[in-house]
Amino acid sequence: MAKLVVLQPTKQPPISLLSSSLSNGTKLCQIQVTLFTRGKAPVTQQLPGESDSDYSDFKSKVLHLKRDRQDSEFVKSSLSAEGYDVVYDINGTRLLASNSQYRFICLKPVSKRCQYHTLHDCILFCCINLKSDILPHCEVDAVDPKSRHKGKLNTESLLETSGVNWTSLRPVYIYGPLNYNPVEEWVFHHLKAGRPIPIRNSGVQITQLGHVKDLATAFVQVLGNEKASKQVFNISGEKYITFDGLAKACAKAGGFPEPEIIHYNPKEFDFGKKKAFPFRDQHFFASVEKAKHVLGWKPEFDLVEGLTDSYNLDFSRGTYRKEADFSTDDMILNKSFALQS
Amino acid sequence: MSCLRWISYGAAAADKKKVFILNTNSGGHAVIGFYFAKELLGSGHEVTIMTVGDEGSDKMKKPPFNRFSEITSAGGKTVWGDPADVGNVVAGATFDVVLDNNGKDLDTVRPVIDWAKSSGVKHFLFISSAGIYKPTDEPPHVEGDVVKADAGHVGVEKYIAEVFGSWAVFRPQYMIGSGNNKDCEEWFFDHKNRPVPIPGSGMQLTNIAHVRDLSSMLTLAVEKPEAASCNIFNCVSNRTVTLDGMARLCAEAAGLPVEIVHYDPKAVGADAKKAFPFRNMHFYAEPRAPKDRLGWEGTTNLQDDLKERFKEYVKIGRDKKPMQFEIDDKILEALKVPVAV
Repeated sequence: MAKLVVLQPTKQPPISLLSSSLSNGTKLCQIQVTLFTRGKAPVTQQLPGESDSDYSDFKSKVLHLKRDRQDSEFVKSSLSAEGYDVVYDINGTRLLASNSQYRFICLKPVSKRCQYHTLHDCILFCCINLKSDILPHCEVDAVDPKSRHKGKLNTESLLETSGVNWTSLRPVYIYGPLNYNPVEEWVFHHLKAGRPIPIRNSGVQITQLGHVKDLATAFVQVLGNEKASKQVFNISGEKYITFDGLAKACAKAGGFPEPEIIHYNPKEFDFGKKKAFPFRDQHFFASVEKAKHVLGWKPEFDLVEGLTDSYNLDFSRGTYRKEADFSTDDMILNKSFALQS
Repeated sequence: MSCLRWISYGAAAADKKKVFILNTNSGGHAVIGFYFAKELLGSGHEVTIMTVGDEGSDKMKKPPFNRFSEITSAGGKTVWGDPADVGNVVAGATFDVVLDNNGKDLDTVRPVIDWAKSSGVKHFLFISSAGIYKPTDEPPHVEGDVVKADAGHVGVEKYIAEVFGSWAVFRPQYMIGSGNNKDCEEWFFDHKNRPVPIPGSGMQLTNIAHVRDLSSMLTLAVEKPEAASCNIFNCVSNRTVTLDGMARLCAEAAGLPVEIVHYDPKAVGADAKKAFPFRNMHFYAEPRAPKDRLGWEGTTNLQDDLKERFKEYVKIGRDKKPMQFEIDDKILEALKVPVAV
């Protein structure tokens, strides 16, 4: 049986969903999951729609190591003492391993330099934030020396030279129930309040959402998979979506009428530190064809289905991560009313 | 020794096809037949290319028709005539494969389909158009997506599928390449030292392929008829480019700076169709079926390809040609944008 430890900061993505998928998906592979946290919050969370018996079954299988992961000596010693095979580091900023048997799974955009010491296996999870006229982003861009997009992340370079067996998974925007990043939630708040949806500039900017369950499936599929060795895969939805289209798709998912959309020029406003809109103001989407061809992975959800799943299991039950904040909205609406009058 | 030679000739002969191309005599698609004929001949197939109309017409003085010696010197046959009379034009010759790169509606293509069927053609290929896809908030257009029921090409596609057991339909967007009958990148090159007026936000996505990619896809369909059979193929490049991006890339290819000016066609009283060579909306298909089913790989690299195109633009003296920009001037005047004299 392989032993997997997850180094989990207290607030993080639907790690429960990922852990649960890993645990379920890896029942076949016999992996035991340990969550390593400071213990400030419960390590597991019952997923919406998950039965009590399924949840307690999962919960009982998950072990908990309680200690501050900043205490790197402890991390090192406990990791080696326990003989973990796979270390699943959410942050990916400081990965430590003194045992060459470790496999690492990092789950976060990796921006800082990582230290890898004689790692065995590593699965990286990172974003590329590139502004581009030519799209979609493809995995080959990172390794093509002729590509204009050659922005190979430090981590991937490090891994290549380190001799570690690694896989890099690149999502775009993740969504789904218990999403910590208010992407769809931002739109749902507006729809529930019956408010127009303010969208930056033209609204034709194209983005891409991937359901967290589909991402979790990809994780399980790359574990121990030869075809995934030293490969990069984009993992997200098969179709992309315009900003305006996303507002309409959320409305469909939640059974709301088609929303009123207001376009505004962000340069005309000073929102201070507030984020008036949850997406990057650019086209941002990646081709997932490689994962489909090489891994045989395929997203289960299309966008409206996935948003419906997220709405039904989360927002519609009265749960969300961030309170609605329409202060920037009001600034935008006040100005547009002033212009009209 | 001679026995072995017989076997190899026999095998080669079985793989070689007799291909008939019915080619339009003008417009953006004319160049497709030209490249396809040459590629087929290069691979050892037999080619007859019929161009609509008369050999002596003025249309034949333009590319690619004025380069048809490249087809005949490679062993291809060139004929001219009326598609409704195709059987007589080819004087009773028979073929394995027919490509109709001419008709946009059933009235025009039906006689060709009927003749092909009755004369024993096994595989019918048709150049349709990605323009028949219904506009969507969820790009890209993927094979199988909803098309506009009243589009002329749709009627043709349906009839082909009814009549032939083995067929393939190709839906292109825009293309560049030497021998093109219709301006594409030239519009941007013509704008050197002038502001480039682009309707809307400039973020609209389009797809511009080098015609060699379209030709290679068609050739694969000829050489892998079972794989191609009964499929729709988006006959486009691997990547999409924004309208602004195309302007930037063309300027880069010409070694010049670029000044892009965005405008609202309605507000300035301009007809965007006449003012600008691309659709004023997202028009973006992806070639997923060609990759999945034919193992096709695109080679278009706009950065490099546009450099080649600019070299030819200069070689033929187009950069020195005096030009009129009536529509542009109207737009720029309405926007009060100065033009250097």
